[in-house]
Amino acid sequence: MAMIVIIPAYNEALKIGGIISAIRAAGDWQILVIDDGSADQTATIAEMAGAVVLRHRLNRGQGAALKTGVDYASRFNFETAVFFDADGQMDPAEIRRLVDKLGQGYDVVLGSRNLGRTITMPPLRKAVKKLALLFTRLTTGLKITDTHIGFQAWRVDALRQIRLDQDRMAHASQILSEIARLKLKYAEAPVTISYTDYSLKKGQSGWNIFSILWDLLIK
Amino acid sequence: MLIQIILLAIIVVIVWRLVAKLTVKELSIKQFVGWLAIWLAAAVVVIRPGLTVWIANSVGVGRGSDLIFYLAIIFLFYMVFRLLLRIEKMEKNLTQVIRTEALKEHNRHE
Repeated sequence: MAMIVIIPAYNEALKIGGIISAIRAAGDWQILVIDDGSADQTATIAEMAGAVVLRHRLNRGQGAALKTGVDYASRFNFETAVFFDADGQMDPAEIRRLVDKLGQGYDVVLGSRNLGRTITMPPLRKAVKKLALLFTRLTTGLKITDTHIGFQAWRVDALRQIRLDQDRMAHASQILSEIARLKLKYAEAPVTISYTDYSLKKGQSGWNIFSILWDLLIK
Repeated sequence: MLIQIILLAIIVVIVWRLVAKLTVKELSIKQFVGWLAIWLAAAVVVIRPGLTVWIANSVGVGRGSDLIFYLAIIFLFYMVFRLLLRIEKMEKNLTQVIRTEALKEHNRHE
């Protein structure tokens, strides 16, 4: 079964090498890094670590990078695609769990922190996530226990159908509403997300919810 | 009044620039006529400020300057809206160009 792990990366030179090695150790799959216009050595390091690298010449945002990866997976006829983050929050050993679940006949398996165990989430972030979950349940009707998590496994045939043109962070909401719109068969699998100082610094602040809402409303 | 002379001088310069742009074909005839109409209207209002009061009163607004203020706000909101849409479209196009290039670049390496 041809499988690809898609990792959008922006200035992740510090982490990307280790993450790729860990993913390679976890299973036999192709690793694709989309270097989203990094100013550092992200692309070179990723290539040396054994990933295929696509380079965005300018930074276009995580959603845009993900979509480039989706186009690649679709063009080269991969059967399964896994979305993975470059900042070390996710555990490569859990990829297998999502893919196994996908094999039970789903179009997409979403990672959920609430089925798994989250290590030290800051309170403001927790509150924002709660609100986002409520909002997502109301607007999409999806029965999920977690939202806006980038750890996902997809059948590429299903992935092909979704519209993914939110370039920045709002793509996470867009993916969920596309799952609802296309009535895809979805399931959740527990994942562990660890919030390290590094990932928090790289990640979004709680206030970003306003810019995401803006993206969703205006476009 | 002095302000009328200053404003008229500015308008004359602007119209002169419009004509210059028309002769070097930076503006189409249609654009030129549109802009000319706007600035001529401005000139008329500067020469006869009483006109705006008359127009304002006839639509139920007290002062001419208030009417202009209201219209300007509506116009600006509309322009901001159009600009946002256009920027959004440009962003999406740019992303598409970058993406196509990234995929093409990769094919060359294979």
